[in-house]
Amino acid sequence: MPAAAEIYSLGAPVEIGSIEKELKKLWQGREGAMTRASLMNLAVYSEEAGSLNKNTQLMAKIAENHACRAIVIEADCRSEENRVGAWISAHCHVSRTGKKQVCSEQISFLLKGGCTTQLPSIILSNLDSDLPFYLWWQGELHDPMDAQLWEWVDRFIYDSHDWKDFPAQMALVETAHREAKQRLVLCDLNWTRVDHVRFALAQFFDHPASHHRLAKISKVRIDFAPAFRSTAFLFTGWLGAQLDWQPEKTSSPDKLRFTGRAGRTVEVELREREGQPIHEIALTAGDAEFLVTHAECGDLLEVSRGKPGENPIPQLMPAGKHDSVNLMSEELMRGGPHHVYLRAVNCVRDLL
Amino acid sequence: MNRSAEQQQMNPLREGLSTRAVPQPCAIVIFGATGDLTHRKLIPALYNLAANGELPPAVAIIGFARRPKSDDDFRKEMEEAVRKFSRQAVRDEIWKTFSQSLFYHQSEFGAEAGYKSLVERLEKTDNERGTRGNRLFYFAAGPDQFETILKNLKAAGLNRAKQGSWARVIIEKPFGTDLASARELNRIVNHAFDESQTYRIDHFLGKETAQNILVLRFANAIFEPLWNTRYIDHLEITAAETLGVEARAGYYEKAGALRDMVQNHLLQLLCLVTMEAPTDLRAESIRDEKVKVVRALRRIIRSEVAKNVVRAQYTEGAIGGQPVPAYRQEKGVDPKSTTETYVALRINIDNWRWADVPVYMRVGKRLPKSATEISVHFKKAPAVLFNKETVKIDQNVLVIRIQPDEGISLRMLAKIPGTSLRIEPVKMDFHYGTSFGKPSPEAYERLLLDAMSGDATLFARRDEVEEAWSFIDPIEEAWHEKKDAPELYFYPAGSWGPEAADDLLARDGRAWRRL
Repeated sequence: MPAAAEIYSLGAPVEIGSIEKELKKLWQGREGAMTRASLMNLAVYSEEAGSLNKNTQLMAKIAENHACRAIVIEADCRSEENRVGAWISAHCHVSRTGKKQVCSEQISFLLKGGCTTQLPSIILSNLDSDLPFYLWWQGELHDPMDAQLWEWVDRFIYDSHDWKDFPAQMALVETAHREAKQRLVLCDLNWTRVDHVRFALAQFFDHPASHHRLAKISKVRIDFAPAFRSTAFLFTGWLGAQLDWQPEKTSSPDKLRFTGRAGRTVEVELREREGQPIHEIALTAGDAEFLVTHAECGDLLEVSRGKPGENPIPQLMPAGKHDSVNLMSEELMRGGPHHVYLRAVNCVRDLL
Repeated sequence: MNRSAEQQQMNPLREGLSTRAVPQPCAIVIFGATGDLTHRKLIPALYNLAANGELPPAVAIIGFARRPKSDDDFRKEMEEAVRKFSRQAVRDEIWKTFSQSLFYHQSEFGAEAGYKSLVERLEKTDNERGTRGNRLFYFAAGPDQFETILKNLKAAGLNRAKQGSWARVIIEKPFGTDLASARELNRIVNHAFDESQTYRIDHFLGKETAQNILVLRFANAIFEPLWNTRYIDHLEITAAETLGVEARAGYYEKAGALRDMVQNHLLQLLCLVTMEAPTDLRAESIRDEKVKVVRALRRIIRSEVAKNVVRAQYTEGAIGGQPVPAYRQEKGVDPKSTTETYVALRINIDNWRWADVPVYMRVGKRLPKSATEISVHFKKAPAVLFNKETVKIDQNVLVIRIQPDEGISLRMLAKIPGTSLRIEPVKMDFHYGTSFGKPSPEAYERLLLDAMSGDATLFARRDEVEEAWSFIDPIEEAWHEKKDAPELYFYPAGSWGPEAADDLLARDGRAWRRL
């Protein structure tokens, strides 16, 4: 199989009823030179025109680190005709050991009309058995969603940053969560976006001698990039939920106020500026200031703790990258539930 | 395994994060800072931890060695080493910050004044870098220096931490050369440091696949019911390498394959694969179960050594088509040396689970390929239907590959397509490298981080080490008898060892797994 030529193409068109048979043919006689690998079914759904090609490119990159059966779906819900087109292809790359080509297979679908009703039947009949099923939903969710789908999805991946109406969309996600009897793991890429900053801030308080400072936090400043206000809210929600802060009513959306455990007031200032989604966080606790900021190179965080009489020792930590491939990659490597996420959302739900 | 659980519970911001808690600030003092281990493993491992954000900001790494050198010289030397040996590419920004935590302390290991000035230096580091009086001493020097260093550390009061701080010591193998010397070494170590402060490093335990053994066994319900004498025929553990003694002739001549590999690495792997389920994942619970295995190893009495242990040495041969000299022709090796470069053993574990299940171990240099693996050979299906006496059918084999190409495979039988009934073995294969794009951290990264966090799970405990020597000693003693010592066999480099090793299994109606 000429891997390089097939990397970003949809591959060969196939009849819906013969996908498995055609996939088998794709691999026949090639096992010696390459290894077909799969750890999960990863389906990506989008209603954006041209997303089939765009997501095929993304899947090719994601599959380099996460062997999967990729199912890429583009839906044209407004189309009057009712038709489904399908293609199969493979994404191959040389393994880390450099000995073999490792390949993931992709099935692509172009749905015309009746999208959400077609979706479960299209997906469920093409899952690789016994592997977990991750559904990556790009854009807005529909009301109602097909409940049948949630019985099968193990991880539901979405990006709340893209939503126009957070409460309405979140309500749909929570309905899905309930319908799946909480078995469904909710994975918000907007939450993944704050993962590294959370880690950078959390590590200041790993040492038992620093724990008392958590109760002394009085001010937080969060600098965020334009269009990433929801990310800043999620980050604030995380602090509030984990430190037991109760939100107070404020008139300014940029100056939030919370009441801490001992009745202490905590002021959170949100500042929009050019840079990374969450560009800088400054946290004041008593006489100490904790700073997490993006280094100029963009993919590193500079963290430091300043206190009178102390020499701050800056440290660099990974900042992660915020493109879709890297966010997905981090999410797929992570595993496990996101218990803290829903608590963070609940803390700032009214603000989102 | 019990990664600073206490810390995680107490820091609410840590909840739900997939990364582990950053260890407490500390100063790491490396004795033997100009040596190979420091260059190839320790500093690259520490750099990688820093690059992943897993080192505390307040950390100081102090190289302690004899040669005169400034901090800057040391930093330059370490930069070269990290650029050469680090598993990930060095980023200038990260190196710049990391290198500021590197310092050099010049002193003879036996010079009292050198330790006094070390105390001053560490106190200064506490003030300037916030290392909070926490000390981790890493013994990367030769074992002949351990006692001197320990005595001086104690005399300088560095073995005891201040209130609220800690002092720990990491010791590299060899942990002695026999039971008596191991006890003596442990006595010396424990004279300065409590057992709870002592971390005996065995880098095999830091490997991802070694850690995965317990997950495989105890997180999957399908294996444990079969993991006993009722269903398992035998176990094999192989550690093969294509390399010869390289620059280690001086050490290897005294040690040999049995002391160098079996006493530590291979017995550790054996423990992980045969131990009972621990009551929890605390370090002591796991180590308690491991030590029970070593205690249950049937001691091979002198008269039984020749029957159960084969020792051999490589002669001239070829590896990968390239001619290689005999062991006795290697630089630094006695031309009449009787040091074994290969050893194969038949071991019994005298407990309920493993009664009558032999364990065959082999380790050797200059073998055709490098591979470390454990294979679990299941008993054959009953001799009816497909498994009649007249038809030779293979056993099911579960293979845990430790290195390279870490992974797990299961051999089973399948019918060859066709109208006649023909059965052939097929393999289900899991490769870490194929399934997970993210490379595993180096063993030293994991182990250094564990020691800084106070997690001793992957380190050998005193009783484990001593029990292991009490198993090894009778074999060594038999080999060194003046009269009737078991034969030293020879094998050409590039072969799979002497015929006597094959006979060891053939006598039991078995054969080594083909690698």
